[in-house]
Amino acid sequence: MVLRSTTYQNEMNETDSSKNTSFVTSLMKSWRISSSSSIASSSNTNEPLTNNNNNNHTKSVLSSDSPFYSSPIQSTHFDTITNNTGSGTTTNKKGFTRKFSSSSQDGNFDAMAKQTISIRKSTSSSSSSSSIINNNITSHAHTSTHSHTHNSNNNKTTNSYSPLRYVSPSMTNLESLKSSFFRQHHTRNSHHNQYYHNTPGNNNSNNHNSFNYSNSPAIGASYSSYNGTGSLENFPNDNNNASSKYFQDLDEDWSAVIDDFNMPIPVMLNGGRGDHASNSNNNSLSRISTNSSITNFKPSTTSVAPLQYPQLPLIETRSKEEIENEREIQKLNSLMKRITKFDNILNNKHIINLSELRQISWNGIPKPHRPVVWKLLIGYLPANKNRQESFLKRKRQEYRDGLNHTFSKNHKRDIPTWHQIEIDIPRTNPHIPLYQFKTVHESLQRILYLWAIRHPASGYVQGINDLVTPFYQTFLTEYLPQSQIDDVENRDPSSYLSEEQLKDVEADAFWCLTRLLEQITDNYIHGQPGILKQVKILSQLIKRIDTDLYNHFQKEHVEFIQFAFRWMNCLLMREFQMNAVIRMWDTYLSETFSDTGSSMSTSFNSDLMSPQTPTQRSTATFHTTPQGSNHVTTLSLHTPATTTTRFNSVTTLTSVSKDESDPTKVKQSSLNEFHVFVCAAFLIKWSDQLCEMDFQEIITFLQNPPTKNWDENDIEMLLSGAYIWQSLYKDATSHWL
Amino acid sequence: MLQFKLVLLGDSSVGKSSIVNRFVKDTFDEFRESTIGAAFLSQSIKIKDPKTNQDVIIKFEIWDTAGQERYKSLAPMYYRNANAALVVYDITIADSLLKAKSWVNELKEKVGNSTDDNDNDNDNNNNNNNLVIHLVGNKLDLVEDDPEMRSVATEDAVKYSTDENLLFKEVSAKTDFNIKEVFQTIGEKLYEIRQKELDNNNNKQNKGEINISLPRPSTNDSTSCCS
Repeated sequence: MVLRSTTYQNEMNETDSSKNTSFVTSLMKSWRISSSSSIASSSNTNEPLTNNNNNNHTKSVLSSDSPFYSSPIQSTHFDTITNNTGSGTTTNKKGFTRKFSSSSQDGNFDAMAKQTISIRKSTSSSSSSSSIINNNITSHAHTSTHSHTHNSNNNKTTNSYSPLRYVSPSMTNLESLKSSFFRQHHTRNSHHNQYYHNTPGNNNSNNHNSFNYSNSPAIGASYSSYNGTGSLENFPNDNNNASSKYFQDLDEDWSAVIDDFNMPIPVMLNGGRGDHASNSNNNSLSRISTNSSITNFKPSTTSVAPLQYPQLPLIETRSKEEIENEREIQKLNSLMKRITKFDNILNNKHIINLSELRQISWNGIPKPHRPVVWKLLIGYLPANKNRQESFLKRKRQEYRDGLNHTFSKNHKRDIPTWHQIEIDIPRTNPHIPLYQFKTVHESLQRILYLWAIRHPASGYVQGINDLVTPFYQTFLTEYLPQSQIDDVENRDPSSYLSEEQLKDVEADAFWCLTRLLEQITDNYIHGQPGILKQVKILSQLIKRIDTDLYNHFQKEHVEFIQFAFRWMNCLLMREFQMNAVIRMWDTYLSETFSDTGSSMSTSFNSDLMSPQTPTQRSTATFHTTPQGSNHVTTLSLHTPATTTTRFNSVTTLTSVSKDESDPTKVKQSSLNEFHVFVCAAFLIKWSDQLCEMDFQEIITFLQNPPTKNWDENDIEMLLSGAYIWQSLYKDATSHWL
Repeated sequence: MLQFKLVLLGDSSVGKSSIVNRFVKDTFDEFRESTIGAAFLSQSIKIKDPKTNQDVIIKFEIWDTAGQERYKSLAPMYYRNANAALVVYDITIADSLLKAKSWVNELKEKVGNSTDDNDNDNDNNNNNNNLVIHLVGNKLDLVEDDPEMRSVATEDAVKYSTDENLLFKEVSAKTDFNIKEVFQTIGEKLYEIRQKELDNNNNKQNKGEINISLPRPSTNDSTSCCS
């Protein structure tokens, strides 16, 4: 991966580097490639452990495959593909191997799409979708650098430039999409060719609308396997099928390549696995289809050799239930795996490896683990398990003492603050039954009031009442049996909690809220400079990422603060349903918190000890300096890899945490910074629609975005998009202020 | 169609958002999430031209601002180019009237008030000196249920409004009492001012000057000043 980025940088130096950057940017924008691809692949680099078995398997499969590939490019390409199916089968060996593998062999990319979304970073099978989606880029990199690295490197390279695809559910206009795709790539063509001029097998380098990835036959093949029957016509008619939601524009891009590419495309089949049927075909890998899909298979086309577009079974030939079943199974399998992983991290060691935990939590935390993991991630609970119990006891007592003092007769009530909180609490999450219970009202009132009077610089600000609820609600689930966790939003806590337990929940929520707000204090002090700064960064980001949208806003006199203020103030909580917010916080808490507080001294050490940190992901950026080290010089206090690389120039605000004990500890907040990228990804998601709207429509739309039905998958897509933008722009944002 | 920008100001939880939502969507929620920053809505009404008796459509672009003190620094952005301001207080909370008064003062100081006096000369047009301010006492329904709850006497508010040349009504967003009337009054007032300006401009044109006033295309077009 490092190799990868350096070679790319060299390229950049040779050519116009700014152009290069914009190329990648618009590449991302135009493809809006999603999401788990990058995460999935990043897991490969970050978590060698998880992929060990997977790699072995890959190798063996690969060796059996290799005779079919003549050029190194091809083989590297197929290596990724192989990995997919390979991993698919391995991971599910125990459970439902047959079904699962058949789904990928079958080219049921509908199912795989789902898989892409729902799969967590660590799930090895997720590499499948990522590598398929990103093949073009991978090979692109290979050809351009003339490097003959393959196999083991290949997977890693994928992640650096995985163009995340954002598939807007509401994206229906294929034509406009197409045109925008053309428009954007057209201009970069000549530039592109510089990469390719020496590429072997480069026969027609000037494909108007493509990235020239079709130069490599192998790559073309991978597209063709999706594209069998001229999918452009296919997909619009296919609106009822869930697959179109995920793949209609993906497909569009690919067919554009093929349309322009006037040479026969070998057919890559069976996901690149050399199985019986493919052995009979030397040049092309024929595809093996499952029983259900074979019904649509026309013999005449299958048997014909390489120079033909493949006739693939249509996705809809699979019955809906079948697909649903497979998805369910995959989901359950991956969930079980994840739970085991969390169990391992949380239980196996004396000191919990926080960096490992942070890494795995980025992609979501299983519900039973969430309360404890959140407390760990945010730096409330010590990583040293021996200390946890006494620590919690002490903190909970501290909270009780604080309450006793605050509500004692000696303490003069801050009436305006009390009143403001009092009127805000009944209207906090008014649509969730949990927040209508008197018990909860009183809890929140205590938490917020205590926090407010202990933080006079900021005091209580509307929006903080929103921020406390995910903590409160999540910590309540700790006291519910697993089967009833989903019920937490409907049950009165007093029905299953004792008075003391309720206070414990409150205390935990209070301390976690305190930790959270420490990181974003600037958002709530007078004048709210933190928010203004973030809004500005957002506008500058959009100006660079999506110039069309930015210009349109200018033309319509839309100011970012008019819609983005709330996004920053409430961390987008008002935009999503609670379950989506909570999922988002899994990532926020793991992505953005650098634990440097006193209570985390132990965890801190463990960070130092473990070489793999989430930070390795940042190699995907266009750093010219060694991993962000220039930023760290100011905070020499702690310089483990985690804190340095995740630390950001945008959020150079390093505030000495106010509460308790150690005045020397330094807080580094990258929560704000990552959040801006999430907002950018969120805004860009609607770009096409917004560009058609006038001022009123834009503001109205952005104040009521169609996100009511967003579930965790949608959030994951969003977060992944944000992650990519961050990897591209994180070091640039400081120059925009 | 004439387009006007209207801004709602007032203390937290006096019912600004409820008034707007009653007017725009004809809905009411007992508990509505607090407004963060500001919310935008728009709604059109019909008024009659007093002279020609023809229907005129007035479109309001409404910025519903957040009430909490901390968000006060955002308010100028929203009232800067406003044609009308709805200053809201809660008749059951005396302090909210004080807050409303301070908003009125700030508006007059920063923007100006057309109802102040009639001798607006044209030179002031471009300073957006024609702000219509309407004071509104909300939550009348609570008082009807229980007269004890009233903390602000109607007479006091009326007197204040007369002194300050404000339009005034007591309303209830919950029972939809007087809500439409408030906007109707504002619309008519704005139309009256607009007509006066047009006349003045016509006079100017007769003197050889050209000054065509058109409604702003967009709420926050800072380059054009709606007058």
